[in-house]
Amino acid sequence: MEANNAYLLKNKTLPDEAEVLISKTVAPNEKILFAIVGDLTLAGKYAQSVLFITKDRALVYDGGGGDIKSYPLSLMSEVCAKRMYGNATLSAKISDGKRIVLFRYTYAIAALCDAAALFINHINDGANLHDEMSVMEVVFERALSVCPKCGRTLLHPGAECIMCRSKVKIVERLFEYIKPERSKIMLCIILSLITTAMAIIPPTVTGFIVDVVFPGGSGGSGITPLNFISDALDGDSSKLLIAMICLLFATYILQYGIGIIRAYTFRQVGNRSVARLRNDIYKKAQYLPMSFYDKTSTGAVINRIASDSSTLQNFMLRITQEAVVHLFQLVGIIIIMLTLNPTLTLLSLIPVILIVIVTRVFGRKIRPYYRRIWRRWSAVFATLSDTIPCIKVVKSFTGENRSADKFKDKNDDWLEMDRRLGKLTTAFPQIVSFLVTCGSLIIWGVGGGKVIAGEAGFSAGLIVSFISYASMFYNPVTFFANLSDSFQSALASTEKILDILEAKPETHAESHIVPDKLNGKIEFLHVSFSFDRTKKVLDDVTVTIEPGDVVGIVGTTGSGKSTLVNLLMRFYDGYSGEILVDGHNIQNFDLSAYRAKIGYVQQEPQMFSDTIFNNIAYSRPDATIEEVMEAADVANAHNFIARQPDAYDTVLGERGVGVSGGEKQRISIARAVLMNPSILIFDEATAAVDSETEHLIQEAIDRLIAGRTTLMIAHRLSTLKRANKIIVVDGGKIVEFGSPDELMAKKGKYYKLVEIQSMTQDAERMKKEERLDI
Amino acid sequence: MTTRVYINAQDRIEKAENNLVNLYLHTGEEYLSLEPRRLFPVNMRHSFITLLSDSGEVAVIREISDLDKDSARVIEESLDDYYLVPTITKIVSTSDKYGTLRWTVETDRGIRSFDIRNRNHDIKVSKSGKVRVRDADDNRYVIEDYKKLDAHSRAKLIVHT
Repeated sequence: MEANNAYLLKNKTLPDEAEVLISKTVAPNEKILFAIVGDLTLAGKYAQSVLFITKDRALVYDGGGGDIKSYPLSLMSEVCAKRMYGNATLSAKISDGKRIVLFRYTYAIAALCDAAALFINHINDGANLHDEMSVMEVVFERALSVCPKCGRTLLHPGAECIMCRSKVKIVERLFEYIKPERSKIMLCIILSLITTAMAIIPPTVTGFIVDVVFPGGSGGSGITPLNFISDALDGDSSKLLIAMICLLFATYILQYGIGIIRAYTFRQVGNRSVARLRNDIYKKAQYLPMSFYDKTSTGAVINRIASDSSTLQNFMLRITQEAVVHLFQLVGIIIIMLTLNPTLTLLSLIPVILIVIVTRVFGRKIRPYYRRIWRRWSAVFATLSDTIPCIKVVKSFTGENRSADKFKDKNDDWLEMDRRLGKLTTAFPQIVSFLVTCGSLIIWGVGGGKVIAGEAGFSAGLIVSFISYASMFYNPVTFFANLSDSFQSALASTEKILDILEAKPETHAESHIVPDKLNGKIEFLHVSFSFDRTKKVLDDVTVTIEPGDVVGIVGTTGSGKSTLVNLLMRFYDGYSGEILVDGHNIQNFDLSAYRAKIGYVQQEPQMFSDTIFNNIAYSRPDATIEEVMEAADVANAHNFIARQPDAYDTVLGERGVGVSGGEKQRISIARAVLMNPSILIFDEATAAVDSETEHLIQEAIDRLIAGRTTLMIAHRLSTLKRANKIIVVDGGKIVEFGSPDELMAKKGKYYKLVEIQSMTQDAERMKKEERLDI
Repeated sequence: MTTRVYINAQDRIEKAENNLVNLYLHTGEEYLSLEPRRLFPVNMRHSFITLLSDSGEVAVIREISDLDKDSARVIEESLDDYYLVPTITKIVSTSDKYGTLRWTVETDRGIRSFDIRNRNHDIKVSKSGKVRVRDADDNRYVIEDYKKLDAHSRAKLIVHT
C-alpha cells in the first residue's frame, strides 16, 4: 500500500516484522513522516526497534516481537532525549503527568532521537510542520554518513566507504596521477623492450662460442641464429671469436646505455607523479574542516603527506621501473628457452615452483615481524617524544635514570625483534639462491647426460646458454613473488591518503555572499552543537549582539565559551539552529571573504617560522611596509621589534630569537589589526602573560576594538572592563546576558564569579602585603 | 600612540658621538643621540631606517636617498659602524665535525675562521644567489652571489647547502 510505505525519512531498512506490523496499524491516509530504526529494546537487549512518527502520533516497535505501541502526540509533553552511559532514552510526560520511556537506543542514533524529541515538542507548541521536517531532513542526511556495510563513519554523507570499495578502484585513482606521463611511459616501455632484448642476447652468443668457435665444440648444432656469421667468415675461429666479442660489446653498450636513459626517465615519471600527489594532499589538507583535525591528529596528517606518499613513491618506482623490465625479461626468456629446447625449459621450471612457494611462505611469516618491529619502534619513538619535550619535568623530579631505563627497555625490545627478523631475512635470499643453483644441477644432470649420449639437438653450448637463461629467469620470478608485499603496503598507504584526498572540504554554500564590510550584528538562534554524539557542548543558545558591542564571554572551563566563537568563525558547520551576521546566515557567506572580516586572537599565539614582517602581513599579504608598521604600532609591538637585531627581518622560531609569549601575542594582535576586521574575537588573549605585558596588550586591544563588534573570552574578569555586555555560559547554555551592572544587580552567576575573583585578588594582595611587612 | 614621523630632505641629521646621530627636524624640534637601526637589515639595507632614543622610536627614514647628501652620509656611516656583515669572497677550507661546520673564509675585512652550528638555519641561499651565513656566535656574513665565487669555493659551498 502506497501510503504505508511512503516514509519520508528513515535511517536504515526497516526490520520485516516492523514493516508488517506498521502496515496493519497505520491507516492508509496517515502518513509516516519519519522512522528511526533503533538498536536496543526497552529492556536493554540488542534488537532492531523502530520509532515511527506521524503527524498525530508516535508509534514504537520494541524489537523482538510484540505489538506496536501508539502514543498520541497531543497527549505528550516535555519530550526529552536523555543521554545516559552508552545508551539513551526518549521519554515523555503523558496526560496523567507520569513520565514514561518510549524508546531506548545507543549513541549510534542519539542525534536522530534528540531531533525527534525537539520535533515533537515543537509540533506540540504549534510549530510549522514543513519547517520542522526540513530540520529533520538535515539531521537524517547527516546520520547517513555511516557506511551501511561496515559501519565506519564516511568522509561525508553519501561518500563511498574507503574500506569497502574495490581495490581496483583505489589503484585506478592512483593511476590518475600517472596518466599525464603516458607518453614518457610509452617511451620507457619501448626502451625496456630494447634493453630486455639486449639482455637475452649474450647467453646465445656464449653458447655459440662454446659450440662453434672453441675447438672440440659440436659445430653449430644447438645455436642456429648465429650460424650465418660463421658462414660469412668461412668458419675461421679467431675471426669468429673477435666477431663474437664485438657483438657482445655492442650489445652491452646498447643495453647499459639505453638502460641509463630508461632508468632516468622512469625515475622522473615516478617522482613527478608522487610530487603531483603530494601537492594535492597538502592543498586538500589546507581546506579540510577543523572537525577533520579533531578526529585525526596533525601528526597523522603530516605522516600521510610525508611518509605514505614516499611509500607510494617507492611502489610506483618499482612498478614503473622494475616490473616492466622483469615482465619483458620473463616473457622473452621463456620464448627463447622454448625455442632452444622445450624439455630443458620444463625441467628448469621445477625450482620456479619451489621459489614461488618459499617466497609466499616466507612472506607470510615475515609480515607479522615487520608489524611487530614497527610497533616496537613506535614505542621507542614514543618514549623519545614523551620525555625530550618534558625534560624539565624529568629533571625536576630526578627522573633521568628512570627515563633512561625505560628507553633502554624499549630499545632492547626492538633489538630482540630485529634479531629474530634478521634470522629470517638473511636466510631467505640464501635459500632462493640455493634453489636456483639446484635448478642448474637438474639442467647439468639431464642436459649433460643427453650431450654425452650424443642425443640430437643437445650440445655443450646449448647447456651453457640454458643455464645462463635459467638464472636470469629466476630474478623476475622472485621479484613478482615479492611484489605482492609492496603492493599491500602501497595499498594501505593509498587508502590513508585517499582518506584526505576524498574528505569533504569546508562547506561552501551555493549562494556566496561576499561581504564588503560587516556591521557586526551577531545573532545565535537556537544553536545546539555536539562534537561527537555523547554530549552537547552548546544547547539551544539564543543571543543577539548589536554592532559595536563589546561582549565579554565568561564561564567555567568546558562551559562552551570557545565553542561559541568556533562556530561563529565557521570552524565547525555541523550545528543545528542558525547563526546570523548582519541578518545573513553565516553559512551563506563566501567562507574566505567572511573569515577575512573577523580578527581572531588566540590564547596561544601561533607563529610561522618566518620573518616578523611576514608573520604580521600573513593576514594581508599585499599590505605595504608602512601599513604593517602602523599595525605593529597599534599592537604596541613596533618598539620591541625595532630593537631586535634583525628587526622586522627577524625569523621567529630560530636559535637566539628572544621573543616572549607576550611579544608574540602583540605580533598576533598586529596581524589582526592589519586585516581591519569588522568583528574581533579575543580568546583569552591575556591569560598567559604577566601583568605588565597584560597592560600593554590591553592597551593594544582597547585601541583595536573602537567601533568594532568584539567578543572577548576571559577567565580574569578584570580584563573585561571595556565590555558593555556580558554573556555567562554554563553547561552549554547562556544562563545570563546583560550589561555588567544589570548582572551585578541580579546577584546571579556573574555576581558570584566576580565575588570569587575579587576575594582571591584580595587574598593575594593581603599575602603580598604580609610579606612586605615582614 | 602618536603618528610616525618620516624624515625628508628638509630635515637634517648630524653625527653625534660613537655611531649616534642628532636629528634636527625642519619644524624646529631636535633630538640628540639617536641610534639609527635598519628595520629590515636583511632585505632592505637602504630603506626604512628607524632612529631610536632610549625611550623608543623618534622617526623613520623611508629611503636614505631621500635625505640631503650630508645627512645620508652620516646615516650610512653610522649604519656601517653598527652593522658588521663581512662579504665572503672566497671559501678557503671547510670541515664537518659532529655536524658542526668549520669554515675558513676570505672576506672584504680579512681572513676569518668560524663555526656554523645548524646548516639548515644558519646558511640561507636565496634564489638571486645571495647567501647569508650566521656563525655559532651569532656573527653574520654574506656572499653577494655564490655563482660568482671561484669554482673551488662554489664546490665547498654546495657540499654544505
